[in-house]
Amino acid sequence: MLLIEADGKALLARHGLAVPRAALVRAGEAAGFCLDGSGPWVVKAQVPAGGRGKAGGIVLCRTPEEVEVSLARLLGTTLRGHPVTACLVEEAVCGAAEHYLSLMVDPAGLGIRIAWSRAGGVEVESAAPPAACTTSPDEAAILAAAEEILATADPAERTALRGAVRDLARALLAEGLLLVEVNPLFIGSFGTLAGDAKVVLDLNLAEGQADLRALVLARPDAYPDAVRKLQEGFDYVELDPEGEVGLVTTGAGLSMVVVDEMTAAGLRPLNFCDLRTGQLRGDPTRLVRVLDWISARPSVCVVLVNIFAGITDLGEFGRLLSDALDRTGLRLPVVARLVGTGAAAGRAELARRHPGVIVEDDLLAAVARAATLCKP
Amino acid sequence: MIPSLSAGTKVLVLGLTGRMGRAHAARMRAYGTNIVGGTAIRVGTAEEQDGLPIFPDITAAVAATGARAAIAMTPPGGTRAAAESAFAAGISLLVTVAEGVPVHDALAIGRAARAAGVTWVGSSTPGLAVPGATKIGFLPDVALRPGEIGLMSKSGTLSYEVGYRMAARGLGQSLWVGVGGDPVKGTRFADLLPVFQADPRTRAMVLVGEVGGAEEEEFADALTATRGAKPVLAVIAGREAKEGVSMGHAGALTWGEFGTYASKRARLTAAGARCFDNVEALVEALAQG
Repeated sequence: MLLIEADGKALLARHGLAVPRAALVRAGEAAGFCLDGSGPWVVKAQVPAGGRGKAGGIVLCRTPEEVEVSLARLLGTTLRGHPVTACLVEEAVCGAAEHYLSLMVDPAGLGIRIAWSRAGGVEVESAAPPAACTTSPDEAAILAAAEEILATADPAERTALRGAVRDLARALLAEGLLLVEVNPLFIGSFGTLAGDAKVVLDLNLAEGQADLRALVLARPDAYPDAVRKLQEGFDYVELDPEGEVGLVTTGAGLSMVVVDEMTAAGLRPLNFCDLRTGQLRGDPTRLVRVLDWISARPSVCVVLVNIFAGITDLGEFGRLLSDALDRTGLRLPVVARLVGTGAAAGRAELARRHPGVIVEDDLLAAVARAATLCKP
Repeated sequence: MIPSLSAGTKVLVLGLTGRMGRAHAARMRAYGTNIVGGTAIRVGTAEEQDGLPIFPDITAAVAATGARAAIAMTPPGGTRAAAESAFAAGISLLVTVAEGVPVHDALAIGRAARAAGVTWVGSSTPGLAVPGATKIGFLPDVALRPGEIGLMSKSGTLSYEVGYRMAARGLGQSLWVGVGGDPVKGTRFADLLPVFQADPRTRAMVLVGEVGGAEEEEFADALTATRGAKPVLAVIAGREAKEGVSMGHAGALTWGEFGTYASKRARLTAAGARCFDNVEALVEALAQG
C-alpha cells in the first residue's frame, strides 16, 4: 500500500533521512493552526496517489493568508479519487538543487533497484532516464552500487547523496518496504532534505509487526481500505460511495472483472470485495459485515453475489449466506451466481431458506439481472 | 521441469498433515496426481496419513521417493523456510500456495531458486496443471479440460472463469500455470513464453493479467523479441481499480501511471497480442479459431 507523504517521511526520518519542518493539518483543525517559520510554505494534500502536483494538490504559498486559503480550498475535496482529509504545511525549500533518488524491490531482477537523477522535480519523467542498477538486498551491496551510479555527481553532491542512499537502504530493508522514492531530494549547504516521499508498505508485514500495524491503524481516514483489511482479514474497497450495486465476491482478479464489466454495462458498483470464502470455516461473520456495509449506503439497490469456488465449498457457503441474510434482515434484492465445488448443494440451501434470492448460472446474465433490478 | 510434467510425475506435499494439505492432497489424487508422500506440519506427529507416508523432513522424503516436484501447503510465515529446505533437498519444481508471504521473504526465495537453478511457482498461486494428466494445486476440476491452449494467470478465480467458459465451448488447455498475484514471484509471464513456444501441444496462449507491477509489459517485450510467436490473447482485470490501494492481491497496486490498465493494454497490443474487453469476448475469439 502507498503511504501518504507525511507517514512516508516519518518512516524515513526514523532511519535518519532529513525532512523539512512541517505540520499536518486535518480537516476541522485549520482554524486553530499555528504556522511555523517565516515562509514561504507549501501546502500539500495528503492522499495516497501520484500526480498530486499536476492535479492541483500542491500549492506554494507566500503568506499565512495564502496558506489559510489553500487549506480551506483543499481540505474536504477529492483528489485523484481520494478524499483530502489532511494537508501537510511545510516550509518551502528555495534555491536548492532538486534531485531524484529511489530504491525499490525489483521483481524481475529479484533484487533492489537503485535509481538517481540530477533532474528531479515534477518533470522527472520527461527528463533523461535516471542512472539505475539492480543489486542484492543488503546494505553493503546497495552502497557499492550507489558508488557506481553516482560516479557522475559532483563531489560535494555525492557526499550528500551517499548519506541519503544509506538512510533509504536502511528504511527499505528494516521495514520490509517495496519502494522508497524521494523526488525532489533537495541538496544544498544544509545537506539533503526530502521534498516528497513515496513509500510503499508491505501490508502482509503490517499484519504481524506492531509498529507498522499501528502506523496504518492510526489513519482510518487516509487508509480506510487497509485498516479494514487489517481488522477484518479480507479486502473490501469502497469505489463509489453512491454506488448502486453492492458486491459480495471472492478472488481478486474475478472481483475486479465483475467491477469492470458492471461499469462497462453502465452500472455503478459500490465496492470491490475479495472475501476469501475459503477461509470462512463455518462462520458467517465476514458475510454479515459486508452486507452491513453495503446496506449502510442508501444508494444501493441490489446485491450481487459471485463465487467461483476452487478452495471454497459452496454447500457450506449457501448455508453461511443464508445465515447472514437471516442475521442482517437484508431488505435489498439479491442475485447470486455460484459455480464450482458444491454448487448444487449451495443453490439448494438458498432455494430452501431464501427462495427470494435470484440464482443465475452465468456471470453476464447475473450482471444483466442486477441491472434490471436497479433500473427497471 | 514444467515442460516434462506428466501423470507419472511424483509430487510431495509439504504440510500434508494440515487442514489444507490433507484436503487438497485428496482432491489432487482424485484428479490423478501422483502424490507420493509428504511432511508434517509438526514434526513427529504421524508416520502415515490416508495411505501416504509422512517423512520427518523434505530431505528424507526426496531420498525415499525420488520425487523432484513438491507443493508447500505451509502458512505464509513458514514459506521461506520450507522453500529453502526444499531447494537444499534437491526439489526442482516447487509450488507454494500461501497468500501473504512478505515481499522480502519472496525476494529471498526467488534468489535461492535462481541460485539453485530450479523452478518456483508462487508465492501465492492456485498451482498449475496439465489437464487430463496432473494438477499440482487447487485449480478446480470443472475448469480443467485437455486441449491446445496455454493458459497463464495472476488471479486464480479469474482463470477459473476463463477455463470454465473455455470448457463449456469444448476448448481446453495444454498447460495451465497460475503465477500468482504477489509482486515478487518465482515464475513470471515472460518466463512462460519460451515454455509455451516450445510446447508442441500448445496452439495459442491466453494471458490473464491484472493491473499492478510490470509483468504484462515484460511479457510484451519478450513477445516482440520472439520470432514466429504463437498467437497471444489477453484480458486484463482492474480497468476500474482504485489508485494507491491493493485490489485484493498485494501486487494489484497502481500509482500515477505505474501498473495501469492503459499501459498494459497498449504494450501488449503493440507487441501483437490481441487484448479483449472481457472474458466472454476472449473465449469467443478462441472458439473462432
